[in-house]
Amino acid sequence: MTALCDELINLISDEALVDKDKLTPGATLADTGLDSVDVISITFAVEEKYGVEIADDAFADIANFGQLLSILEAAVEKKAHSPP
Amino acid sequence: MTTDPGRRIAVTGVGAVCALGHTAADTWAAARDGRGGIARHRFDPGSNGPDAHTTAVALVHGDVVGPLEAALGRRLGHSLDPFAMLALAVSHEALSQAGLLASPSLERRTAVVLGHGFAGIHSLEAAYERFYGQKAAKLHPVTVPKVMVSAPVSAIAMNFSIKGPVFAVSSACSSSGHAIAQGASFIASGQCDIALVGGSEAIATPGCLRAWEGLQAMTPTTCRPFSAGRDGMAIGEGGASMVLEAADHALARGAPILGELCGIGLSSDAFHWTQPSLEGAVSAMTMACEQAGVTGADSVLISTHGTGTPLNDRNEAAAIHAVFGANAKRHPVIATKSAHGHLIGAATALQGVIGLQAIGAGLAPPVLGWLGPDPECDLDLVLGEARPIEAEVLLLNAFAFGGLNTSLVFRRWRH
Repeated sequence: MTALCDELINLISDEALVDKDKLTPGATLADTGLDSVDVISITFAVEEKYGVEIADDAFADIANFGQLLSILEAAVEKKAHSPP
Repeated sequence: MTTDPGRRIAVTGVGAVCALGHTAADTWAAARDGRGGIARHRFDPGSNGPDAHTTAVALVHGDVVGPLEAALGRRLGHSLDPFAMLALAVSHEALSQAGLLASPSLERRTAVVLGHGFAGIHSLEAAYERFYGQKAAKLHPVTVPKVMVSAPVSAIAMNFSIKGPVFAVSSACSSSGHAIAQGASFIASGQCDIALVGGSEAIATPGCLRAWEGLQAMTPTTCRPFSAGRDGMAIGEGGASMVLEAADHALARGAPILGELCGIGLSSDAFHWTQPSLEGAVSAMTMACEQAGVTGADSVLISTHGTGTPLNDRNEAAAIHAVFGANAKRHPVIATKSAHGHLIGAATALQGVIGLQAIGAGLAPPVLGWLGPDPECDLDLVLGEARPIEAEVLLLNAFAFGGLNTSLVFRRWRH
């Protein structure tokens, strides 16, 4: 797992007040304890921290936590690699 | 409101967090010892606002959230505005003292009624600074649940599994007085056995304090109730709560009884936004004393609204004389806003928590900041240091902006 992934998991755990042990890639959102408001709050926190924008419907079709994490990670990395 | 004389209302738990301490006991100890919490603090609105300014307020010091998370066994993070966090902390303390944490009694026939003059001002101001100052179109997604005035009671219901009537009330500086009255009415009517009541307030933000200063009722130095040279009130942050319980219910489960709520007087001036009326104050105090059966033989500890504004204190002193007549100066008068500041919606509950401990200990805490007598406030003020008192009765006043008055009478518990 990348350092960015670790950082994002810490942020998600702090923002949504869920146990980090539950944030495994294969877990469904219901398994992790994250609800729809948590996902919006997490998105907001990631946007704030990394200066990125994530579309409102980005998570419409996700099946598990791994996919949520991948979308966040991709958004942050895209920003990191974009010209200033 | 008429209480059923067959259903006495006991206080079985109290909680407080304010500039004087993080518990009801610490708050009482500081008030008793004359240790005040009002100090000048600097408020900086940030790069999008005007210059920082300094004003006299009474702030809560230290970490409230960490110990509360430890006590609850769960994380709270930034999920609540400070006004809700304070309410949750004092509710935990009061329920704990009453022996009601995790009690099946909370599942039914238990109410929660808290009063707040404002709402989640810290969160609202941060949101508006983003919106108007930083021109950010997107605001934090839980801004609304953090700001709403009922956030504290919802947080309390969720954290303690309280499933009866749960709501907030608001009447400016009388808010928690009305909350106590409403909780009592649930018990008196037989609808509930327990009511967690009180209030909280957290409004010491750069913008909100400027709004208060606009009224020109804020002191530049400190709160000096009933004193010559008094020049206004000082805002305080904090919260306070009480567990009201049908005395038969409390006795049946062997709960500690800290006092009895035995008189409630509610009135409206229907007069002016900021000027108090003598008639409204006299009406509330008289109603509360009559319902409680206070007689000329009683010694009464009067916990005044005592804001330190020229108008309130003069009017309240006149009201005390009108209600008690020739006996007015027989009753010790305290004004603890001089120590913990004015908690607005939480003021009555906090003064109730302090006052109950005062009549329990037989000691009246001193009025702070006093410079000298004002002939228009000719009362038996407790000055200098705590004074031993005979009083077993507490009369508690709140006279809010907009002319909304509550007076409550508590007695030391007797079987």
